[in-house]
Amino acid sequence: MNLQFMLFILINGLSQGMVLFIIASGLSLVFGVLRVINFAHGSLYMIGAFMAFSLSSLFAGKTLFAFLMLMLLVPPGVAILGLGLEVSLFRRIYRKEHLLQLLLTYSLVLILDGLTRLIWGGQIRNVPRPEVLAGSLDLFGLYFPSYNLFLLIVGPLLAAGLWVLLYRSRAGNYIRAAVTYPEMLGALGVNVPRVMTWTFMLGCFLAGLGGVFMSALANIDLSIGMERIIECFAVVVIGGLGSVGGAMLGSLIIGVGVAFIQIYFSRMALVFPYVIMALVLIIRPWGLFGKPER
Amino acid sequence: MKKMVIRLFGIAVVITALMGIVPAEQVLADEVIKIGWIADMGGIAASFYKSQKDGIEMFIEETNATGGFMGKKLELVIRDADLKADVGANLARELILNEKCEYLIGPTSSAVALAATKVAKEFKKIIFFHTSNTEKLTTTDFHPYMFQVVPNTGIEGRGIAYFLAQKPYKNYGYIGLDYAYGHDQHDAFKESLLKTNPNAKITVEVWPKTGESNYGSYIPTLMAQNPEVIYSSLWGGALSTFIKQAAPYGLFKKTTLSSLYDLDMLRAMGQEMPENLMGYTRCPFYAVDTPQMKAFVDKFSKKFNDWPADWAIMAYDGLLALKKAVDTAGSTDSEKVSKALDGLKWTSLRGERYIRAEDHMANVGIYVGVTAKDPKFKDFLVLKDVVEVPAEKVWMSVDEIKAQRAKNPQ
Repeated sequence: MNLQFMLFILINGLSQGMVLFIIASGLSLVFGVLRVINFAHGSLYMIGAFMAFSLSSLFAGKTLFAFLMLMLLVPPGVAILGLGLEVSLFRRIYRKEHLLQLLLTYSLVLILDGLTRLIWGGQIRNVPRPEVLAGSLDLFGLYFPSYNLFLLIVGPLLAAGLWVLLYRSRAGNYIRAAVTYPEMLGALGVNVPRVMTWTFMLGCFLAGLGGVFMSALANIDLSIGMERIIECFAVVVIGGLGSVGGAMLGSLIIGVGVAFIQIYFSRMALVFPYVIMALVLIIRPWGLFGKPER
Repeated sequence: MKKMVIRLFGIAVVITALMGIVPAEQVLADEVIKIGWIADMGGIAASFYKSQKDGIEMFIEETNATGGFMGKKLELVIRDADLKADVGANLARELILNEKCEYLIGPTSSAVALAATKVAKEFKKIIFFHTSNTEKLTTTDFHPYMFQVVPNTGIEGRGIAYFLAQKPYKNYGYIGLDYAYGHDQHDAFKESLLKTNPNAKITVEVWPKTGESNYGSYIPTLMAQNPEVIYSSLWGGALSTFIKQAAPYGLFKKTTLSSLYDLDMLRAMGQEMPENLMGYTRCPFYAVDTPQMKAFVDKFSKKFNDWPADWAIMAYDGLLALKKAVDTAGSTDSEKVSKALDGLKWTSLRGERYIRAEDHMANVGIYVGVTAKDPKFKDFLVLKDVVEVPAEKVWMSVDEIKAQRAKNPQ
C-alpha cells in the first residue's frame, strides 16, 4: 500500500462522507431544534430521489443544466411535502414523549413508503449523471469519479451556507433561540410555530437535496430510506444534536473511517459507525459538537 | 325519511340480487384448476415479478384457449410473500387449504422457497421453482413434489468457475452480499475454481450488507489487490448499483466482472453497462436458438410490447413441463402428475430437456458470454458469443446428493 493509494482512499472516504452529511444535517437540525426523532427523514430523502428520477426523465438529457434543475426543483418540492406534514402532524408532537414521536414518525415511514410504491412502483431506478460529471479524473495515477469530486465541493459549500444561515442571519437567530428559549422568543413577538415550520421545511429541503445527489451516485429503490437513516442517526449522535458542524465531523469520521477499515479489516467496516457512536455516547453523550442538556 | 327507507331497501334488494349471481358463477367454476403463486412482488424482486407474471399469464391464456388441463380451465391465484419466509409458508398453506390450489409456483427469494416447499411437502402438492434457486431445494430439502427449472446455485457457482478456470486468470476477487445466497455462491465457486485451476487465488473478498446502495468504500478495497477477475454474486438492483458506481473508478479498465447479467439487470443498466464483461445468465431469449423460443419471443413481444426476461421464460418452461406431465398422467391430481414428472422429457423453450428423477432438477445450464452492444437492441447491451455450460458438467452427482441428504436427514 503506497502513499498515493492511501491518499486516494482518504479522498474517497471524504467524498463518501459528503452524501451522508447532506442527509444527516437535515436530520440533525430537526432533531436539535424540534426535539423530534424523525424516522421519516429517510423516507423524505427517498421521495426526493424518486422525484429526481421523474424530473430527470422529463428533462431527458444528461446536461449539467438538467441536473442543476433537479437541484433547484426537488428540494423545494420535498420541503412543501414537509410543510404539509408539519402543519398536519408534526406540530402536535413537539415536546411530547419520545415513544409517541417514534410511533408517529415510524408509521409515517410506512405510509410514505407505501405511497412511494404506489406512485413510482417497486422497481429500481437510476438517474444518469450529467455528462461532465460522469467520467473520471486522474488522481495519483488512479481513476477517481468526477461526480465524487463534485460532491467534495458541494458538501462544504452547503455546510458553509447552512452555517451562514444559522449563525449570521435573523432567521438563524430565531431558529437557535427556539431551541433554548421558545417562550422568550414568543414573548418578543416572534411567531414560534412558524419558526418551527420553517425549520422542519429546511430539514426536508436537505433530505430532498440528499436524494438528488444520491440518485446520481447509486441506484434508488424503496429500501434506500431505511438503509441510510440508521447511519444518519449515528452521525447525528456522534456530531451532537442540532449541530451542523457536528454533522459534518460525524459524516467525515464515518466516511473516512469506513474507507480505511474496509481495506484492512473488511468485515469490521459495517460495525464501525456504531462502535464510534457507542464510544461517543459513553465519553461525551451530548456529541462532539453538541452542548449538554440544560 | 320514508323516501330514504325505500331507497335503502332498493339498494339492499340490488345487493342481494348481485350476491345471488355470484354463487351461480361459482358452480360453473368447479371445472377450474387453480395454480397458486407465492410471489415476491417488491423491493429488489420487483422487476422479476413483472417478468414472471407476464410469462405465467401468457401460458395460462394460451392453455385455456386450447382446452386447459384435461378440459379444465386454469386460474391463477397470486399472493405476495414480500421476500419473507414465514409469510411465504402461511400463504402456501392458505393457497392449498382455502383457495384449493392443486399446484404451487414458487417465489423469487430462496428463503421463501425453502419455507414454501415444506408446506407443499406436507400437503403433497406439486410446487415449481423457476427463479429461486438455492441448491438445498433439490438436496437436503428435497421431496417428491418439488421441481426445479432454474439453474441452481451449485450449477451457477460451479458453472461460472468451470468457465473461468479455462482462462489464464490467477488473481481473483469476490464480492457478495453477506447472507446465505452470497456465501453459497462463494463456496461453490471457490471450490470448483481451485479444483479446475490450482494456480488461481482469491486475493480479496468483500461482503456488503444486504440492501447496500453505496459501494463507494468497497470498490477501492477490491482495487487495492488488482484482481484480473472479480466474481460477484450480486444480482438485480444490487449488481447494477455496483457496476454504475465502479465504472468511474476505472475498475473495469483492468478487471473483468463476472456476474449474473439477466435481461432485467441489463435493461436497468441501459447504455451505462460496460462492454466486455464476462458473465452469465440463466436464460437469454436472444441467444437460445430454438424454433420454440423464436415463436415464444414473437408472441411475447407482440402481446406485451416488451422482450421476455429470463424469469418469464423459466416460469413458462416450468408450466410447459407441468402440462406435459398432466397429459402423460391423464389426470390433474398432484400425486399422479408428480409421478409423471419424475424423469419427464419435454420440449422446453430451451429445446429438449428432462427432469432428473433423483433430485427433480431440470438439466438447465447457465449461458456464459461477454457483454456487448447489439444493433437489434437499442436500449440495452446483451451477452455475445454465448455458450451454455451444460448442467450435466457441473451439477451435483447423484452420489453427492445422497451423501448430502444422509448428512442432513429430514
